Amino acid sequence: MKNILKVKVFRCDPETDTTPRYDIFHVPEIKNMAVLDVVFHIQNNQDRSLAFRSSCRIGMCGSCAMFINGKARLACRTGVATLGTKELTITPLPNLPVIKDLLVDMDPFFEKYEKIKPYFIPEEGRKDFCSVPEGLKERRLIDEMLECITCGACYSACTIVTTNPEYLGPAALNRAFCLIADKRDGGGDERLRIVSDSNGIWRCHGQFNCGEVCPKKITPTWTIQQLKKRSVFKMMGIHL
Amino acid sequence: MKDVNQINADILILGSGGAGFMAALHAYDVNPELNIVLAVKGLAGKSGCTRMVQGGYNVVLDPKDSHEKHFLDTIKGGGFINNQELAWTLVTDAPKIVLELENKVGCFFDRGPDGMLHQKSFAGQSFDRTIHRRDLTGIEIIARLRDQIFAKDIQVLEECRGIDLLTKDNRVVGALLLDIRSGEPIVVNCRAVILCTGGGATMYKIAAPSMEKSGDGVAMVFRAGAEFIDMEMMQFHPTGLLAGESRLSGSVLEEGLRGAGGRLYNALGERFMERYDSERMERSTRDQVARASYMEIMEGRGTQNGGVLLDMSHLGAEFVERTFPGMVDRVKDIGKDLAREPIEVSPTAHFHMGGVRIDRDCRCNLEGLFVAGEDAGGVHGANRLGGNGVAESTVFGARAGDASAKYVSECDNVTIDYEQMYYIWQETTKPFQLAKGEDAYGLRNELKLLTWEKMGVVRSKELLEQSLSELNEMDERAKQIKVSGARRYNMEWNEALNILNLITVGKMIAKSALMREESRGSHYRSDFPEIDNKNWLKNICLIRDEKGDMRLYTRPVILSRIKPDDIT
Repeated sequence: MKNILKVKVFRCDPETDTTPRYDIFHVPEIKNMAVLDVVFHIQNNQDRSLAFRSSCRIGMCGSCAMFINGKARLACRTGVATLGTKELTITPLPNLPVIKDLLVDMDPFFEKYEKIKPYFIPEEGRKDFCSVPEGLKERRLIDEMLECITCGACYSACTIVTTNPEYLGPAALNRAFCLIADKRDGGGDERLRIVSDSNGIWRCHGQFNCGEVCPKKITPTWTIQQLKKRSVFKMMGIHL
Repeated sequence: MKDVNQINADILILGSGGAGFMAALHAYDVNPELNIVLAVKGLAGKSGCTRMVQGGYNVVLDPKDSHEKHFLDTIKGGGFINNQELAWTLVTDAPKIVLELENKVGCFFDRGPDGMLHQKSFAGQSFDRTIHRRDLTGIEIIARLRDQIFAKDIQVLEECRGIDLLTKDNRVVGALLLDIRSGEPIVVNCRAVILCTGGGATMYKIAAPSMEKSGDGVAMVFRAGAEFIDMEMMQFHPTGLLAGESRLSGSVLEEGLRGAGGRLYNALGERFMERYDSERMERSTRDQVARASYMEIMEGRGTQNGGVLLDMSHLGAEFVERTFPGMVDRVKDIGKDLAREPIEVSPTAHFHMGGVRIDRDCRCNLEGLFVAGEDAGGVHGANRLGGNGVAESTVFGARAGDASAKYVSECDNVTIDYEQMYYIWQETTKPFQLAKGEDAYGLRNELKLLTWEKMGVVRSKELLEQSLSELNEMDERAKQIKVSGARRYNMEWNEALNILNLITVGKMIAKSALMREESRGSHYRSDFPEIDNKNWLKNICLIRDEKGDMRLYTRPVILSRIKPDDIT
């Protein structure tokens, strides 16, 4: 006998629905089943009006983050077997507007991301590759924190974002750190000024919610602490 | 249909992989005044396959390596039917594009002890020339390119797919897009279109690419009259993960695993590559290894789940975990340990070498249309080397951006034909009007099975003829797909549109494969198992005729730089 999953799914089309609802679906469990397989099964076989977003299905694109059994996770990399229950509750990522069902509008997330000038600004005059010996100490933390896939899980788990929608949020600040600490980049001073303002690093209360949900094992709380340190030293006139 | 949202632009770019982003950045750099619109089927930089690049990027950086060596590897790997001028452009442009990615775009590639870019071994290459960022290189490349787009005045339309190009005579003058979120059309009137949407390998049962890809660009420009080459050349990557019915199945375990010394075994415990390429063994090219695995499976020496075994354990768990953290992590999702036990893998449909016939500046037979990346053909010939894919998309994306910016400054704007647009939109929304009809998902599954079983790794006249007749029948049925619900973010409707495009691309593959009566590169015919340089040093070309059918013909390969005899 196949295991049957009981799946509660958040449903809402803001264009037509005045209130959201939950629909319950029963889904046969298959081997190696990810939550993404579950929502596809529902969409293809039970209710074709369901909407959600996905693309690469292997944890590289960050399109399918959802709020699954109380935690923001990538649907594609969340094995049903790892949840420890046959009952699933799937809702859209918190802290972001719903477009339809499990699909959120990522624009507020990327608007914040854009504010920190997330793009590399080349140092003047570099003609050849920058020599960076393997394992160089000053790059170690960047290397651990570089692989952000902008899935928005950290943003949706951050309680500061919930209470202050202007707060830049973990992903944007983490990106700012990766650039500020990169010796090849020439935009550091400007970025440090942006992240140090009233909606930036000082809002972070160090709760580590962001790091706990990150599918790429990035801990923005650490990089935000690093930025706080740099910001203080800069105010004191000390250059790192 | 009234009040269609219209955008007027200089350049419309379809796709946000390496090719689309590089095209946008280059066109902007040539002339920041240009009105550039970039439309993406998913979210910008999150849709498509550059992001899914794992292994890395082939580039000549070491003084002991040379353009000639990289070129020769590319041509040998491609079975000598590559367009040699495109291949030469690839290898000679790659170093400057990689420097641009590092110093201008801000990518950071892994370094060696000397502080310079680390280059690892990949299969089918005479030199270790693959730069990388750990074993998930694409994330770094596409995320940094995406960041740069934020800095420029480029209009990005997310979750907007191309439906069809709009043409006047032989000139491309715009495109009709579907805004997936609203379900409404957007019409773009522009001077040039750059097509970078990616291929249709997703039509196969076991496939590697991101799921939303469906050969849209290829099908669109076929309908518009573009000329194609090598459409029979579909690459199967030898090491696709087998994970049962889960969508993880088919995802690629990267080439560097074989490069580093990974071994392949059949269910009898034999290192079977000895029988197929005893010299290069597992480091043979993708076409050879994929076919060898497929033969083992078909001859009953595969695992219970229809795979072979990839074993890394002899290299030491610590080495595997340090060098391939992304792969170890992925395999853990199915409860296995890549560093310590053999993993079941199967060939997986991966990359379409065939595509639009272009010149070095990505121009084709249609005026106003530029094509770069997987949508274009000729660079890789009959088989692509691992690490040459992202090189192609960034090199030729950049060239398309440069060339199109120059082109639009010298041509007039031609207004679109609204009748044409209305007709296309009517066809696009037809699935909602049917009272009853075919089922989109059912048809997709039928297509996946057909392509896998009859036009995949091993082909024959009989199988291909069956494929064609079934595809023709499916095409008729696909026109009768019924879709329900509202148009806003309707996944079923989008699947219906995907299927129509995939069937078109499938027919192009089957027809070209039927014509090529020999085996070369990724194309293997059990009824013509040998390579035939006497008759088939040719490219098969395909174009739409006046009735809308596919017309096929051949062109001799121009051996402008090297001939097969030169290397024997």
